[in-house]
Amino acid sequence: MASITTNEVRTGMKVEVENEPYLIVSNEFVKPGKGQAFNRIKLKNMLNGRVIERTYKSGEKIDLADIEETHMRFLYKEADGAVFMDEKTFDQITISNELLGNNQQWLMEEVAYQVIFYKGAVIEVIPPTFMEMRITETSPGVRGDTASGRVLKPATTETGAKIQIPIFVEEGEKVKVDTRTCEYVSRVNP
Amino acid sequence: MFPASILKDRAAMLQRARSFFAERNILEVDCCALVPRAPLDSNIDVMSVAVTEQQRGFLHTSPEISMKRLLSSGIGDIYYLGHVFRKGEIGRKHNPEFTMAEWYRLDFSLPQMIEETCQFLFLFLGTLDVEVLTYREIFSRYLGIDYTSVSLDELKAFAKDENTTHWSRTNYLHFLLSHFIEPHLGKEGLTVVIDYPPYEAALAVVTEKNEEKVAQRFEIYHQGIELTNGYQELSDVKELRSRFSAENKERLASGKEAYLLDENFLVALENNFPPCCGVSVGFDRALMLRHKKQSLSEVLPFCWSPSNL
Repeated sequence: MASITTNEVRTGMKVEVENEPYLIVSNEFVKPGKGQAFNRIKLKNMLNGRVIERTYKSGEKIDLADIEETHMRFLYKEADGAVFMDEKTFDQITISNELLGNNQQWLMEEVAYQVIFYKGAVIEVIPPTFMEMRITETSPGVRGDTASGRVLKPATTETGAKIQIPIFVEEGEKVKVDTRTCEYVSRVNP
Repeated sequence: MFPASILKDRAAMLQRARSFFAERNILEVDCCALVPRAPLDSNIDVMSVAVTEQQRGFLHTSPEISMKRLLSSGIGDIYYLGHVFRKGEIGRKHNPEFTMAEWYRLDFSLPQMIEETCQFLFLFLGTLDVEVLTYREIFSRYLGIDYTSVSLDELKAFAKDENTTHWSRTNYLHFLLSHFIEPHLGKEGLTVVIDYPPYEAALAVVTEKNEEKVAQRFEIYHQGIELTNGYQELSDVKELRSRFSAENKERLASGKEAYLLDENFLVALENNFPPCCGVSVGFDRALMLRHKKQSLSEVLPFCWSPSNL
C-alpha cells in the first residue's frame, strides 16, 4: 500500500487509519527545540464523519487510503436503491437508499453526482453544490406576511426535498438550491 | 503583498538588537552559514548541499560550533544575528530558515545569562514579570507527575489516542511537554525553565543540585512559545565525544544518517576554551509575539508556511 510521511500530510489528503478511510482536516507541526518533532493531525472519518485528533512522531509513515472518485449520472430509482451510470465507462451500479441517506432528496435524472469509492465499494454520494429544480408544492404567498416578519414559507421540490422559499415564489417555478444547506439561492428564469 | 509596517519594524528590531549587543561591548561575528561538518543533534535535521561536484557541505542549524571555535581563539564576548536552517521544520511556529540571535558571555553565571536574555526579550515584548520553574516543577505543577519516577503505563495513559508505535520514554515526555505543559508557560509574563535532566543537557554542563544531577540549561517561554535555549557551556572534550556518539546512535536507531564529529571543534575546545554561558533566541518568534500574530509567515517575508507549498 502506498504511504506518505507525516510531514508530507496536507489538508484534503485521504489516509487509512485502523482499516478506515480518513480525510485530513489539518496537520500542525509541534516541536520543542531540542526535542522530538510531532505532527498533530486532525482527521475526519469518511464512513461516519467523526473527527479525531492524533499525534504522530514526525517522519512516521501513514498509509494512503484506496479512494477513487468518479462522476456518475443518476438513471432511475429501484425499490431499495438508485441506479447510477459511470460517465466514462458506462458501467451501471445500484447504490442503496441506506447509503444515499438524506441525499435521496436531491436525485434528478441526468444529473451527474460525485461518487466516492473506498476499496472498490461506494462510501459516499455527493450532489452538485447548486441544483436547479421545480417547486411542486407550496402555499400561495399571503399579502401581509412580510409585515409579521415571515418572509419564507415551506415548499417541496420535484425531487422531494423540503426547503424554505421566499413567499413570492409560486408553485411550478424553478429555483436554485444549495444542497449543502437546503437553502434557496435564487429564482431561475425560464 | 507583505505589510510595509512589519518590514519596517523588523528592520528596526534588527537594529535595536545590534545596539543591545554594542552597548554591552559584544562583538558581532558574521560566521559562514555553509559549514563542512553537520552539527550533531538527534532531533535536529540538517540540510546538505553540494558545495562542489565532489564535496558535500551543510547549512548550519545554529552558529554554535563556529562561534565556540572563535571563543577558543580568545576573541571575547561575541554574538551572531543571522539566518540558520533546519530541515523539515515547517509549520505555524517553524520555518526551515529563520533568524537567530546567539551570543556568548565570558565568566557569566547561568542566572546572569538568564537575566540578560530576559532584558533582550523585553526589547520586543516590553518589561514582563519573570517566573523561574525547574523541569521537575513544570511536570508536577501541570500534570501532577514526577517525571523521574512516573511509570511507562502512566505515560501511555496520557497518550491513549495517539499513534504511539515505537515511542520511547523520552518521546512520551516530549509529547507531554509540547502538548500539555508548554501551552501554560509564560501565559502573562516570561517563564524560565531550568534544571533540565542530564539526558536533555545537549551541550550544557551537568552539575549536582540537592543530590540530583541537573543540566545547567534554560529555556524561556512567552504565551506558550519557546523563545530561547541557553547553556552554561560544556568544555570537557571527553564528555562531549560521548554525548555526540550517543546522539549518533540515536540518529541511526531512528533511521537517520550518522555524522562525523567535527575534530577542529573538539581540538579548539581542548585549547583555551573560556568558561562561559551562551544563549540563542528565535528572532522571528519574538517578532511574531511582539505583533500579536499567530504564525511566522506574518512577520517573515517569503516564509515556507504549509499553505505556500
